[in-house]
Amino acid sequence: MAEQDWGSEGYIADNFRAFYASGASRVEPPTEMRQREFGFLSFGGRSMFRHIGFEDTQQLRGYMREYAPAHTYFSAAYYEDPRANMEYKGWLGADLVFDIDADHFDLPCQKVHDRWTCSNCGEEGMGHAPDLCPSCQKAKFVEENWLCSECLTAAKYEAQKLLDILIQDFGYEGTGDLSVNFSGNRGYHVHVRNPTVKGLDQLSRREIVDYILAIGIEPEYHGFVSRAVGGGSSMSSDGWRMRTARALYDFIGELTPEGMRELKLAKAARERLEENRDAILETLVERHPSGIFRYMTKNTLERLMAAAVKGQASSIDTVVTTDIRRLIRLPNTLHGKTGWLTQNVPIIELPDYDPLMESIAFKGGTESIHIRRTPIIELGGEVYGPFEDETVELPLAVAMFILGRKAGRVVR
Amino acid sequence: MISEREAAKYPFLRDAVSLVDVLDITLDDLVDPSYRKVLDRAEGRVSQAILKGETDSRLEDPPTELLSYPVANMFVTVLGEDFLSRRYALSEALRAEEILREEGEARVAKMARTEFEWTLNLVSESLDGRIYNFELHFSNYLRNAAVFREPKWKLVNRMMKDGYVLLTQPEATRLLKEEIQRKILSFVSVPAKINLPEPLRERTNRLAKVLSENRASITGEDLPSEVVMEALPPCISTAFEGLVSGKRLGHMERFALTSFLINAGMEIDDIVKVFVSVTDFDEEFTRYQIEHIAGLRGSRTRYTPPTCSTLRTHGVCVNPDRICGRIKHPLSYYRRKIWMLQRQEEERQGDVNPQISE
Repeated sequence: MAEQDWGSEGYIADNFRAFYASGASRVEPPTEMRQREFGFLSFGGRSMFRHIGFEDTQQLRGYMREYAPAHTYFSAAYYEDPRANMEYKGWLGADLVFDIDADHFDLPCQKVHDRWTCSNCGEEGMGHAPDLCPSCQKAKFVEENWLCSECLTAAKYEAQKLLDILIQDFGYEGTGDLSVNFSGNRGYHVHVRNPTVKGLDQLSRREIVDYILAIGIEPEYHGFVSRAVGGGSSMSSDGWRMRTARALYDFIGELTPEGMRELKLAKAARERLEENRDAILETLVERHPSGIFRYMTKNTLERLMAAAVKGQASSIDTVVTTDIRRLIRLPNTLHGKTGWLTQNVPIIELPDYDPLMESIAFKGGTESIHIRRTPIIELGGEVYGPFEDETVELPLAVAMFILGRKAGRVVR
Repeated sequence: MISEREAAKYPFLRDAVSLVDVLDITLDDLVDPSYRKVLDRAEGRVSQAILKGETDSRLEDPPTELLSYPVANMFVTVLGEDFLSRRYALSEALRAEEILREEGEARVAKMARTEFEWTLNLVSESLDGRIYNFELHFSNYLRNAAVFREPKWKLVNRMMKDGYVLLTQPEATRLLKEEIQRKILSFVSVPAKINLPEPLRERTNRLAKVLSENRASITGEDLPSEVVMEALPPCISTAFEGLVSGKRLGHMERFALTSFLINAGMEIDDIVKVFVSVTDFDEEFTRYQIEHIAGLRGSRTRYTPPTCSTLRTHGVCVNPDRICGRIKHPLSYYRRKIWMLQRQEEERQGDVNPQISE
């Protein structure tokens, strides 16, 4: 069979069409929809249909029913004329959006379910593809990326840290200003809709990205000054002043001898840390941050801090947030690579939300597919696979997921 | 209503502008000898901007100080040079900042709120021995501070809670200076056809001469026409070497590299060749993208490379060296390095030449 048949796009497209026949009525338009640009990818199509605008909800839902697209996006931006070409659209502002994608993380589970194959020499490996093939030094790979509950839990944890920062530091309301969507694949999108963010330019959005990721953070601006000054512990302070103290507390509390060596700390610094660990932790809880310099040099602190803040920062994608014309997935629409729904998740329900249970669109029915190769797949509370070069009858949702990742084809 | 002295201090404020407006002074009025002091001071404001980049304040004669400001604006508008407009706006803003620094916090807060619509509260908080008198909404903060380079202005290094950033008074004043500068720039960058009476035209001619005589020394020279590879900043040369060795560049890396090479004067054909030869990119598409960045297609904007801090955010900044610490844009690195290389070259030739002459 030819390579193109993997994925059975025609079959997926038919199912999407059947879904939208009733599911289109649940597609909710974004706020101020007339000022938004919409974009769609069709099955098999290589280019995007964009610069599309809708007057009302009925028009949008009619479009979904008629075309049943593989992917559905709307702009974070507001335009005078969303249908015009880019330079004539008239940018009016944009929501502040964040994208958290487990694909960008380094997770142990990726070594189990992700795989790369060098297109040149056929060398294979698990996890993320390397920059260059270790065997032939070329840089073209076929990647088979999957996802599991561990990736999705990691992504959700990052989303929760992001929400904490947006609420506590930026002062946004969890119920009015913020909305969280499961992306329908490997992550979450967080949207901030508030007049204060609408006009922010790219430079300002970049500063916000740096804030969330703690890029450019320097301890001396958070109380870690080498001269002793008055004031108490910052564990219950606010913003990064609090987060730096908590980050250090967690990090030093769990720091192993290997961890110290990874930070390239000198032997003397390592010994001082080991000897004074309890005193350092107590200082962070009881005293002004400057007290820490009784136990370490500025250089050691900076190394520790650089590593520690990662635990408090949220791993957002840097490009999405700074792009003020970004298209982003519309909730209650299908993701063409999974057959799952992009879903709004009320913040209060986020801790208990499980996309592998709740974002399933194709319930009921089974399909026989021939599978090339998959790792173990968890979906709807069941576990399937791993499969390799075999024909299996699976629940429709699982079959759609495997087809969406082009790892199988329908047997007819 | 605002006092004349207050208006002379901050002549760009709405109240100050309307104070002058009611006088309804015409261009012909200005020719009258009684306005000579006003014209002298107006000309002085502009020439100080060109020569020193900062205007002094002369509050001992408030009416002259106040009236000379709109006249100076008019001179700058008539001269119609972007470079001058920017420099003038900066000079006037520095002058205002200087005066603002001596004011009480209530005055600072009033200007910030009423003139620039800042969401600002007066507070009194002490952290690490510093007193913070203001808290400012982060959106107002970023509008002004996002361009600053020192680490202390980075949002991540500020105390922020519930959307508000703590500020000391000098910091609040520094941010107001940015607002003032933008406001003055907006006054003087509206193109206008004004037919000046002869005595006034003499003054603008004089200013045009001062400007042309000093421009080169203020702006510095242009870049050489061929790309000097040894002068590439570490981020760009890393991306370039990566590309040549077949590494997959990220979007931001590719954009930084392409826009840099375009701005450094590399021919588009040559850039296309580099990309196509080492990757499996489609030539047509690669050319289209590069021409887009060069401003030959689409929006017709020629893109400049991102600033250092943007590159840092996106993880493109690698192995920064001594020069990196002194610049904030990869093209500034390039200029500086070229200048250093040229100097080294001259010194080397200086060593050689005497030997030849013997």
